[in-house]
Amino acid sequence: MKYVLSFTVNGQPVETLAEPTASLLDILRDQLDVTSPKRGCESGDCGACTVVVDGRAVPSCLTTALTVAGSEVTTVEGLMGDGQLHPLQREFYERCAAQCGFCTSGMLMAAKALLDRNPSPTRAEIALAMSGNLCRCGAYVQVMEAIEAVAGRKCEVKAEDTRERE
Amino acid sequence: MPTAEYFAPTELRDALRLLAERGNQITILAGGTDLVPQFNCRELRPHALLYIGKLGLNYIIAKNGGLAVGSATSLEEIATNRLVFERAPVLAQAAAEMGNPTIRNVATIGGNLATASRAADMPPPLLALDAELSLVSERGERVIPIGEFFKRAHKTVRLADELLTEIRIPSVKGQTAFVRHGRRKVFSCCVASVAVRVVMDGGKCADARIVAGSMASTPVRCLGAEGILQGKHLTSELAVEAAAQAVGECKPIDDDRATAWYRRRVIKVLIERAINRASDL
Ligand SMILES: Cc1cc2nc3c(=O)[nH]c(=O)nc-3n(C[C@H](O)[C@H](O)[C@H](O)COP(=O)(O)OP(=O)(O)OC[C@H]3O[C@@H](n4cnc5c(N)ncnc54)[C@H](O)[C@@H]3O)c2cc1C
Ligand code: FES
Ligand code: FES
Repeated sequence: MKYVLSFTVNGQPVETLAEPTASLLDILRDQLDVTSPKRGCESGDCGACTVVVDGRAVPSCLTTALTVAGSEVTTVEGLMGDGQLHPLQREFYERCAAQCGFCTSGMLMAAKALLDRNPSPTRAEIALAMSGNLCRCGAYVQVMEAIEAVAGRKCEVKAEDTRERE
Repeated sequence: MPTAEYFAPTELRDALRLLAERGNQITILAGGTDLVPQFNCRELRPHALLYIGKLGLNYIIAKNGGLAVGSATSLEEIATNRLVFERAPVLAQAAAEMGNPTIRNVATIGGNLATASRAADMPPPLLALDAELSLVSERGERVIPIGEFFKRAHKTVRLADELLTEIRIPSVKGQTAFVRHGRRKVFSCCVASVAVRVVMDGGKCADARIVAGSMASTPVRCLGAEGILQGKHLTSELAVEAAAQAVGECKPIDDDRATAWYRRRVIKVLIERAINRASDL
């Protein structure tokens, strides 16, 4: 049986039909054409499908779609405002933090959830928050640098602090 | 193919009614981190899902000097909650080391227990803390010590009409430690884990709990090893002796994470470390 599902995707209210066992990833990609979250492992192991639900980064492949009824979901499509890249997107781009790019959407959303909660994380806090996101191409160093750069812009003092600790 | 029905009640009594009427057909859904991968690979085709995330079972409150934790509380909340840090630090630590941050955001403590996986990270600390579980049905409430909850891997004493609603942690004495070993620090379910609590009195160990995870089909309370510590001054030599005894009380298996042979060797070291840490040796 399909059920009506209403929630908000990137600020837009949407209504669609969902099977109880459908994941949020299924609904976003296959029904709503929101394709930035990637279908990697479908078992919670890779992080390519990470989206932000009500401020928390979650694996959309493990989230039953119907449970997000009434929630606010943010994906990479919602990062850009006024045609401007989000600071994270800009830093990822400028530092070549994506090679094939398959992990990038998930990385961006995990990083966004972190910075929204903690605008000036330490390197260890970034590493922890990103530990659910795998990158087959091995762009980890650039990913860390990109997130640190954005965090640093928000709080110069803390950025020096983390550099000293390295 | 018939597809599933879905219920997301906001009142506990509606959830219990459903379980009373159709318990055998219903799959309780909490965070979904154990269930949804099984839906994704079509390993599991549920008749009906009962989502419990809207029942108000997401809470951590101080109770009788201890804690009451709602079964739908996420592991991230448990890992970061101040009350848990103060009253059950061993639980906070185990929650913080489980999975990874995005998994922890959704995974619940009730799901971790009800799944009854060998490798689950919540049972050892909760056994070490003498926790009790509240199972509620239309027939009433049943409170059982957590040690009686697990029957074998993936099987608990929960009846089809019952919902695990609350985990109660009494005010217990002693110092604790949790040590786990996995193939990777984050992500991976553990190869072996142990939670230890020692109660010191006048320089001697008055009481002890040593609970090994991933070392049998259910968490293993190593009573023989606990006995070795009781009434003694704790030394690192005694920790070695207790750990050796504990290994004999475990019945590990070979699986895709490790062999039984390896687990026996690892758990010995983990238990030693945990006893040393808990007793500041
Ligand atoms: C990538 C990954 C890594 C993981 N790492 C770890 C790890 O390191 N350590 C670890 O312990 N686990 C780990 N897990 C397993 C899993 O995340 C946990 O067991 C989690 O706590 C399950 O909770 P849930 O709310 O997601 O359960 P769900 O999937 O919603 O439910 C699990 C089971 O419990 C039942 N259930 C849930 N709530 C109740 C209730 N209140 N009453 C009765 N029955 C109930 C369900 O019917 C189902 O059978 C991992 C999983 C993934 C995908
Ligand atoms: S696709 Fe969701 S974690 Fe890999
Ligand atoms: S850039 Fe290819 S997987 Fe990360």
